[in-house]
Amino acid sequence: MRKWLGLALVVALVAAPAAAQALKGKVAVVLDVGGRGDLSFNDMGFKGTDKAAKDFKLTMVEVQNATAADYLPNLRNLARSREYDLIICVGFLLGDALEQTAREFPTQKFAIIDSVVDAPNVMSIVFRENEMSALIGALAAMAAAHHGYPKAGVVLGIEIPVLYHFEAGFRFGMDWGNKKYTAVTGKPANVGLLYTYTGSFSDIALGKAATEAMLAQGAVGVYNVAGPLGIGDLEAITEYHRNKGTRSGPPYYFGVDANQDWMGKGMHGLASGMKRVDVGCYMAVEAVVKGTFKGGVVSLGLKEKGVGISRYEDLLEFIEFGVSAGALKPEDIAETILNWQANRKTLPDWIWAAIDELEAGILAGTIKVPTADSLVEMQAIRARYTLGAP
Amino acid sequence: MREGRLLRGVHRTHTGVHPALESVLAAILGLLVGAVIMLLWGYDPWQAYWALLKGAFGGFGYEIPTSVARGVPLILTALTFSICLRAGMFNIGAEGQMYVGAAAAVTVAYLRLPYPWHLLVGVLLAAAAGAIWSLGPALLKLTRGVSEVISTIMFNWISRFLVFYLVAYVLVDPRQAQRTVRIPFSARFPILVPGTDLSAAVYMALGFALLVYFLLWHTAVGYEVRAAGLNPTAARYGGISIRRTVLLSFALGGVAAGLAGAATTMGLPPTYAIISGLPDLMNLGFDGMAVAMVGRNHPIGILFAALFFGGLNAGGRVMQFYGENPVPLEMVRVVMGTIVLAMAIPELVRIFPALVRAGRALVRRAGPAQGEEA
Repeated sequence: MRKWLGLALVVALVAAPAAAQALKGKVAVVLDVGGRGDLSFNDMGFKGTDKAAKDFKLTMVEVQNATAADYLPNLRNLARSREYDLIICVGFLLGDALEQTAREFPTQKFAIIDSVVDAPNVMSIVFRENEMSALIGALAAMAAAHHGYPKAGVVLGIEIPVLYHFEAGFRFGMDWGNKKYTAVTGKPANVGLLYTYTGSFSDIALGKAATEAMLAQGAVGVYNVAGPLGIGDLEAITEYHRNKGTRSGPPYYFGVDANQDWMGKGMHGLASGMKRVDVGCYMAVEAVVKGTFKGGVVSLGLKEKGVGISRYEDLLEFIEFGVSAGALKPEDIAETILNWQANRKTLPDWIWAAIDELEAGILAGTIKVPTADSLVEMQAIRARYTLGAP
Repeated sequence: MREGRLLRGVHRTHTGVHPALESVLAAILGLLVGAVIMLLWGYDPWQAYWALLKGAFGGFGYEIPTSVARGVPLILTALTFSICLRAGMFNIGAEGQMYVGAAAAVTVAYLRLPYPWHLLVGVLLAAAAGAIWSLGPALLKLTRGVSEVISTIMFNWISRFLVFYLVAYVLVDPRQAQRTVRIPFSARFPILVPGTDLSAAVYMALGFALLVYFLLWHTAVGYEVRAAGLNPTAARYGGISIRRTVLLSFALGGVAAGLAGAATTMGLPPTYAIISGLPDLMNLGFDGMAVAMVGRNHPIGILFAALFFGGLNAGGRVMQFYGENPVPLEMVRVVMGTIVLAMAIPELVRIFPALVRAGRALVRRAGPAQGEEA
């Protein structure tokens, strides 16, 4: 017994300083070529890492890439310096470079958002985007049925597996919303889907053109699943309202990744499918600080608050984010909140309650939202939830 | 003429000092202006330049190979511009010719061949694609008198969207739709220094630069090209076929740009493919024009200029995270731009009369068309 106690003491003595020593006090965040200022993916990666660095009293270094050819040298530079407790890669495009660097520097801890790198020193953080997309899809279908619009639209980026999560969830959600509308009102709802893979995550004009085409076909709104293209989507919707002379109501804009409801002074952003890249980055730093860091896949969904549909608190948080990024003037905050509230009032309360019901069902596990990681799986879901757009 | 004292084809400078010394002075001036800019924005220029120097040339095992690797495609795209300038033309088309070269190089992924041959086939395909793409502007110039300045810029756009299309729909990897299929190991330039980006593509760039030097200054056909560039009227009077010099310089430039595309796809880890939106190729052709200016449009000068550019780039990456108050990438690029501009000024001043002539010719051509409308 005493022997075991002694051993335990030795282990404790050896382990404790080792854990404390391991921290060097610096983290790095590497952004993809889009860089800062996208009010979405990269800015959220920065926001989460910055918050974690402040909370845990670490120094944060931000590294941007002028071209994709800089990914590998930048990761190598950081790893070679051996000064960083953790290097976070924001975006799946960094996956190839990280795979190589993780192999070359097996003792360096890494985390990557949106990509799975199979190495013991890499924490791969992925999101269950199908869950919040289902909420947006249900909202879009019920809004369309309520206002008498025949369609709801999704503008997507490059056809990569990550985007299949969004499309699969949105299709399931629309189907759920159609059924819910019929059950509540007794009137048949048969809202159809319009979707376009634009092939770009940067060409804002493509987002605008795709949205204009969807609005012309009677879409009640457009869900942006292409990062910066959302700026083009919102522009098309704003122009549509200006021509019609309306200030709120359909067509709506559904934001993505960040809470984008405040964009355009909150006039048309009804709700955002939030993918909290900042939460993922924060978690990775926290794991390193607490000594619980492990390689492998970490999946974040509604339950982990890694994804979600935007609510009033989120609006306030992200208005601050917009102001600090210089994209929203402080004197416009009050007007933005009023606009947003007026826009939400264009839908009856029972629809918002139905969204809460769907969310609770997903959280409790009674409602399973399908997802797809490959074209074959996606085609199966397209066949199951056709919505007039196989 | 003091031309040819050090190397053939290096022009006498306006200031009268040796060109190399003049470049060093220009670099110092650029560094000083960059330091003032950083000081004004509250960054420490000493620390930033120390990071730049260390990151660029701090060691033979990592830093220097990394800098050289970055310079490899720039050597080639700079040659595209310089060859045509020596022949009296402004070829802005390296960017587009490089894109098609890269796309052609990727097609070797569909072939099965053993190591050196597979690589060689890819290089030849890329060179051929670049040359063929450059023939468009060359033929438009020869047959219809279209200014190569305009046509090469327009061809860049055609090429850009053509390669966008090829990447998204033809060469796409069905499992990874954000990029094309990857070039297999048997068609990749071997890495020369493990743990860095430096591949054997550097030999290709060096070899091509020396070949261009030899061709322009040690062969009869090179003499004709340069004569046509210096004074086309006199050259024609002397029996030189302008048609031949235009075609030759454009084709040679196209080959260089095509090889730059091969170097970035077959010789640059880790992806060995073209990524959708071309973020790994974008601007290498235009940067090559700046390298050509700094290198005084001379193949040997370009080698040094490309090394300098590669060093700026590699060191600039380090500036972003070095020390207590690191310089963000945006500011790094401002400083780089200042240095490059200072170093390009001597050559820009020298070719200024030719630039003005090209501009006047454009206006003259546009003139009658406007007159007809009125």
